[in-house]
Amino acid sequence: MASPSATADVVAPRSSSSDNYLTHDKGVLSWIFTLDHKRIGVMYLCSVLFAFALGGFFALLVRTELLTPGKTIIDHDTYNQMFTLHGAIMVFLVIIPGIPAALGNIIMPLQLGAKDVAFPRMNLASYHLWIVGAVFMLTSLAINAVDTGWTFYTPYSTTTSTAVVPAAFGAFILGFSSIFTGLNFIVTMHKMRPPGMTWFRLPLFCWALYSTALIQVLATPVIGITLLMMIIERTVHIGIFDPTLGGDPVLFQHFFWFYSHPAVYIMIVPAFGVIGEIIPVFSRKRIFGYKFIAISSLAIAFLGFLVWGHHMFVSGQSVLAGTIFSAITFLIAIPTAIKVFNWITTMYKGVIHLDTPMLYALAFLWVFTIGGLTGVFLAVMSVDVHLHDTYFVVAHFHYVMMGGAITAFMGGLHYWWPKFTGKVYDEKFGRFGALLVFIGLNVTFFPQFILGSRGMPRRYYNYLPEFQPLHVLSTIGAYTLGLGFLLTAFYLWKSIKSGKKAAANPWGGATLEWQCSSPPPYYNFHKAPVISAGPYDGYENLMYDEAVGGYVPRKSSST
Amino acid sequence: MSESTSESAASAAHKGGHGAPAPAHGGHDAHGGHDAHGGHGGPHLAHHFDTYQQQFDAGKLGIWLFLQTEVLFFSGLFCAYTVYRGMHPEVFVYAHYFLNTTMGAINTCVLLISSLTAAWAVRNAQLAQRKLLVLNIIITIACACTFMVVKFFEYEHKFHDGLLPGPAFHPTEQVWELESFKHKHPEAAEYAEKLTKAAEAKEHAKAGAKPGEAAEAVVVERPTEEQLEPLIKAGVIGPLAEDQTRPSKPRNAHVFFGIYFFMTGLHGIHVLGGIGVFIWLLLRANKGEFGPKYFGPIDYAALYWHLVDLIWIYLFPLLYLIH
Amino acid sequence: MQGSSEEQPPEPREDATRPNPKLEPTEQDEPEEAVRREAPLAADAHAAHDDHGLAHTMPVWMLVAVLGALMGLTILTVSVTSFDLGAEGNLVVAMVIATIKAALVVTFFMHLFWDKKFHLILFLTAILFVILFLSMSITDRGEYQHNIDVYQSTNAAAAK
Repeated sequence: MASPSATADVVAPRSSSSDNYLTHDKGVLSWIFTLDHKRIGVMYLCSVLFAFALGGFFALLVRTELLTPGKTIIDHDTYNQMFTLHGAIMVFLVIIPGIPAALGNIIMPLQLGAKDVAFPRMNLASYHLWIVGAVFMLTSLAINAVDTGWTFYTPYSTTTSTAVVPAAFGAFILGFSSIFTGLNFIVTMHKMRPPGMTWFRLPLFCWALYSTALIQVLATPVIGITLLMMIIERTVHIGIFDPTLGGDPVLFQHFFWFYSHPAVYIMIVPAFGVIGEIIPVFSRKRIFGYKFIAISSLAIAFLGFLVWGHHMFVSGQSVLAGTIFSAITFLIAIPTAIKVFNWITTMYKGVIHLDTPMLYALAFLWVFTIGGLTGVFLAVMSVDVHLHDTYFVVAHFHYVMMGGAITAFMGGLHYWWPKFTGKVYDEKFGRFGALLVFIGLNVTFFPQFILGSRGMPRRYYNYLPEFQPLHVLSTIGAYTLGLGFLLTAFYLWKSIKSGKKAAANPWGGATLEWQCSSPPPYYNFHKAPVISAGPYDGYENLMYDEAVGGYVPRKSSST
Repeated sequence: MSESTSESAASAAHKGGHGAPAPAHGGHDAHGGHDAHGGHGGPHLAHHFDTYQQQFDAGKLGIWLFLQTEVLFFSGLFCAYTVYRGMHPEVFVYAHYFLNTTMGAINTCVLLISSLTAAWAVRNAQLAQRKLLVLNIIITIACACTFMVVKFFEYEHKFHDGLLPGPAFHPTEQVWELESFKHKHPEAAEYAEKLTKAAEAKEHAKAGAKPGEAAEAVVVERPTEEQLEPLIKAGVIGPLAEDQTRPSKPRNAHVFFGIYFFMTGLHGIHVLGGIGVFIWLLLRANKGEFGPKYFGPIDYAALYWHLVDLIWIYLFPLLYLIH
Repeated sequence: MQGSSEEQPPEPREDATRPNPKLEPTEQDEPEEAVRREAPLAADAHAAHDDHGLAHTMPVWMLVAVLGALMGLTILTVSVTSFDLGAEGNLVVAMVIATIKAALVVTFFMHLFWDKKFHLILFLTAILFVILFLSMSITDRGEYQHNIDVYQSTNAAAAK
């Protein structure tokens, strides 16, 4: 009899599917004071999605205003506030916490085979800090929304009359939220792996989160002190950044970008991790070049610290510094390309399943590549002189952030949705939503490359009439994108209300989170699992079972 | 039913080990994972850790990572300091005369002693020497409070002397009138006095010259090296001085005090935080919570405290011992 | 590839300090009192060894000796300021002494000598990044200081 049950560990399975982490404790307080990483992750998810909607609302305001040169719906000062809020909310409240805090918190300990993260209370604190940071940002919105651009450049930020201090302080608090999450993840992955889970058996999502966490821990304190310095400069006028007081405004830029460049890797590296999970599963094929992908995450994290000056080519920075930064920026393309090539090679001769998560992953490959390559254009100093502060830059970072990070976030959301909600969403709607999002983001941002290379500056309220057709096209794309997200919100919500019950392993994944029920029980794993295979091994041992609605192990013939 | 079957089968086929989700030991499992040991696993052992060693190691790694973030946090200020001192050394030379080196040195010694007692406290906790542990924590807190008291007096003097950051910088005394300057450079101080009197006389004469009254000419002889050099270095006279007609302060002298208050203030906030943590630990130590299996919190707090000391070890020469 | 490893015993563990609770008797079931009562005797006998207990215990003489050294270095650094070694010289000497003091605190008080190598790497990495940050900012600062000076003097002139 070859029913290969592990050992006497396996207790006769009992149907207690009603008790899972969602139903384990009742009441609002049990959520506010929870120490369960899955609940914390779900709270993060709701908050981040809410902030995404808010940031998206501001984006639509900006795009609507840009339908015509001159005033369309708001005046120029309000316009400045709108794009600043859009940027600040998206960067600090959505994308930086996004995948690590929302998806990572729920899934990473499960993938590891751990009972929880290393410091559950710190995890909860991290979430509450997010809330506090968000409140400060909203305070700024309420008083007199900040209008400096999300980059808070001095000396404007130290002299403008808008409410810079609450916004900057909010970002400061959010920095701590980010640090706590990163610290927690690093210790969890070092200390809480079960027997047999060696570093090179970790799922690639974990590798990505680990690299991200390293960046979070090393870079975020610098933005913390920078924002603090900017606040003190603004209130006490000590004279660090204000030239009239003997200060140096470009020093602010060095401080700011020392964090903010690694920050964009905080945004994208987890996205790489999600893609690395989706592609093998939906190609039914083991990932190609696992070690290369894992190490490249670390390489990107490291190199990301050495290139911040490429945001400052035209700031008066020395040519020597500029050359060094430019050269190292080219280097970052290499580990990134390694990942993309490996993912494509994974799909080669695989059996591709075009479910919604895979659609998002494929969209990612296309859109992120465009975004990444245009980054290399900008890394060339002579080209950057023309393109800096134009819509080309805007298009570049939206391609990588929206097309990269958000697309991967959506992919991961759909991939793990059945796991953490226990419900299945309507696949037809899912595919249509993915299509709308893909079309929307391309129609929104591709014209912006053209606008930028023709000279349309960024953050401008008014523009020459010759740019109008492309702006209109971009706005149409933005509304399409918004529609796609609305549709997604609708069918995901519907799935919670009335969706089919999800199987433990609806997609046929081989990583540990698919071993527990959907939704997982409160305590994750009853006994620490013993690992003896890699995270992408054994797809051929699984087969789809109609009755269950998911994958089950292929029964061996002697049963 | 089918769900659990697929689970156990799935787990068996792939990674083994983990079996049924449903605990056979009872439906409600508040702690999870440790049912075999009857609920908790041991005093002060968190439910998600398997052993005390794992818990301790995790906490150690965690605090070292946190210390990393603190180092990088302060690095911004050290960077600002370095940049400004490099570009405007005269401001720093000028300002350091206003600082009391003795108080700074006292604070350094106080912090070093508190570092000793904190490290000793860790040893006490490891050996479950409760009384000594409590004593060492108390001394650590006392030293920290001494530090803050000395700091308070220093700040008070600065407020009193008008040495505030930014536009509030209005020193009540000229630098060459200070004891510390006169002690080090008596000739230069004298010379500066003379120059000031000469400038004042000139102005007085210009302002209220009565016809017929000969203006009192104050003759100032050519300065020697000893008289001139300290004043130029401090930006009191020369191209970097604010007022070219008479000895004054260097341009943007207030920047030093901005940096000084920011750095020592931020450090002070960290000291206060440390005091709070140690008070909390004192209460727990008094109850006898710490022993060889569980002394992590003392260890981690001590590590944090040593970092606070480390930062001061660098702040002291950078702010107080400028030459 | 089917069911290849389930029947075999678990893979040898990578980390010996994390025993699988299922396989080894644990100390967690010992009553609190026993744990604490045993400790002083056991620990004193092994004070110099770091494999008993959760971590190495610092001997008192070492702690006091380090404090003595630190105090001595503090006195040294203050007295050196009375010698004029040039503006740069004094700064360099002060920084060297401060670094020695820091090294003493980190190695002994913070226990790094007996601790996991990884923690040392973490600490040095942080320092390395600080150096990276400082060096680029300072290199760059020299480039446009002139602009700031010009701006300031024109501003000052205009204000007058």
